[in-house]
Amino acid sequence: MKIPILEVRELRRYFPVRTGVFLKKSGDVRAVDGVSLKVHRGETVGLVGESGCGKSTVGKTILNLLKPTSGQVIFEGKDLSTIGRAQWRLLRRKIQIIFQDPMESLNSRHTVGEILEEPFIIHKLGSPMQRRAWAQELLKKVGLNASSIGRFPHEFSGGQRQRIGIARAIALQPKLIVCDEAVSALDVSVQAQIINLLLELQRKMELSLLFIAHDLSVVRHLSDRVAVMYLGQIVEEASSDEIYQNPTHPYTRALIAAIPVPSPKNTRDRAILEGDVPSPINPPSGCRFHTRCAYSRPDCQRKIPKMEEVKGNHHVSCLRWRELLHL
Amino acid sequence: MTEPVLKVEELSCGFNTEDGYVRVVERLSFDIDAGKTLGLVGESGCGKTVTALAIMGLLPKPSGHIEGGTVFFRGNVLSNTSAPNLKEVRGRNISMIFQEPMTALNPVHPIGKQLVEAIDLYEPEIHQTDQRIRALELLTKVGIPEPAQRLKEYPHQLSGGMRQRVLISIAIAGNPDLLVADEPTTALDVTVQAQILELLRNLQTNYGMAMIFITHDLGVVAEICDEVLVMYAGRTAERANVTKLFEVPRHPYSQGLMASIPRLDAPCKVPLPAIEGIVPALGNLPSGCSFSNRCLYSDNKCKKENPPLMDAGSGHQVACHHWQSLG
Repeated sequence: MKIPILEVRELRRYFPVRTGVFLKKSGDVRAVDGVSLKVHRGETVGLVGESGCGKSTVGKTILNLLKPTSGQVIFEGKDLSTIGRAQWRLLRRKIQIIFQDPMESLNSRHTVGEILEEPFIIHKLGSPMQRRAWAQELLKKVGLNASSIGRFPHEFSGGQRQRIGIARAIALQPKLIVCDEAVSALDVSVQAQIINLLLELQRKMELSLLFIAHDLSVVRHLSDRVAVMYLGQIVEEASSDEIYQNPTHPYTRALIAAIPVPSPKNTRDRAILEGDVPSPINPPSGCRFHTRCAYSRPDCQRKIPKMEEVKGNHHVSCLRWRELLHL
Repeated sequence: MTEPVLKVEELSCGFNTEDGYVRVVERLSFDIDAGKTLGLVGESGCGKTVTALAIMGLLPKPSGHIEGGTVFFRGNVLSNTSAPNLKEVRGRNISMIFQEPMTALNPVHPIGKQLVEAIDLYEPEIHQTDQRIRALELLTKVGIPEPAQRLKEYPHQLSGGMRQRVLISIAIAGNPDLLVADEPTTALDVTVQAQILELLRNLQTNYGMAMIFITHDLGVVAEICDEVLVMYAGRTAERANVTKLFEVPRHPYSQGLMASIPRLDAPCKVPLPAIEGIVPALGNLPSGCSFSNRCLYSDNKCKKENPPLMDAGSGHQVACHHWQSLG
């Protein structure tokens, strides 16, 4: 059995809800409520779900940008909650993140050169001359002109800015990159370019990616495995082909059915999911999906489903998945 | 032949900027029949929203203006450079919904007040209590649960999908003949998007509204449109019936767009056939065909002459010098 580069065990992250004059804590937003997943070397794991399901919180907690309420994040065999600041500093080189909006995540007052040299300065690598050369090399790696080093972020288009964001993320030769909606804000033609760039960099650098997005078709295209999240929990996990060919959880099925297919003759019968995602402050009892599920039974309101194996590497958390296989 | 609800002839518009006049839409022509949906498709900055605003007479003043062309509503001139009868038509006969319902609704007034305001505008003669009944009817029509309760609520208390439903109910308050929908589902989750598309389709079949549907998502186009106009840099690239467009896209840009969408049924982790390069700045279009600098098939003729819209049979029009040889 290979040891995964990243393992997340029973991760929980709650945000307190404070009300009243004295801001008394009245409850918790259970943004992430018991998420476990593994990412292997050179692998892409996709994390997909609707807005508010906690997928970004998972990403931020892995990077320790948010402290986990409970649970463990284990990177290269080390439990990240037990290590000190000095060790974190070393580890940060190996874990990077790319955000959705590169205009917000790049300092608009810094030139591209300054942005790309910063990681080296923080980690005290190279001389100024070397750092400049490295920055130029990074620009070439992500398909930008090395001469654009003196320009500012606003002089670039959205897709080019995302390339700069990627260049910064790969600067320190990381092992794992968390991509948080990295292509969601881009136009289709540019999105395809960035997807291709990520695929290419992953192959060349043996990167592991945790690709977080709401668009299942994009996630599936980039990933080896896909985990589907609903209200802070993973409800189904399978290989990219399997999740599309044999979606087992009713939510995954509904999610796939809701994706508009670019083919007008498509005669797929669609079961449209009713209602909205319930509040994560008071998530529904039992199976969290039961309020919107077409197959829910009284049992689903009481029993909490466990992750069960459908077949090798395909797991689902639904009380009725066996019966539903034949529907 | 019945008269089209809306007919746009050679519409050109643009903006005065610090760097001089920039033309954003160039000689756009189309018409829409009752009960049909025309999709305006293209990437950001291609002029699709500006086209809609020009039709509605909502171009920001004083910088934006209609340079030429005519818009006919049921045979009457609606807007050319001067538009006296626009106020009569706008809202009652043509109404519009926007991408972000939170910014389109007034945050300091309850939903009910905003709905009644619209009803009062179209039917000033009806009594206040009847207005309330009308508002309830409208909310029920757009599938809002517990409408009586919702009337008292403020926009921030509703979810994104519900807000969009409220906006739609305001838009249909005057029983319009034409609904202009500017990316109404882009900000929504896929499952909610499916609900809103279903709602728009039902409203259309029940009331025979014509619709202009602006989107960048070809999947959504396939779901909801009858006719499609593909725009690139303010010009028409291709115009066709939706089935035709997806079966035999003629313009290299349409072909490229379709190839670059990650599909659920395609193999994963392979590079997507992306369109290279970026959309040119509108003030700085390449000479000749505006797509020539990104097109795989462009030659000297493309770089010199802007291709006219050519007939490719059965209502299919394409603006490309080489469409016949592209197959």
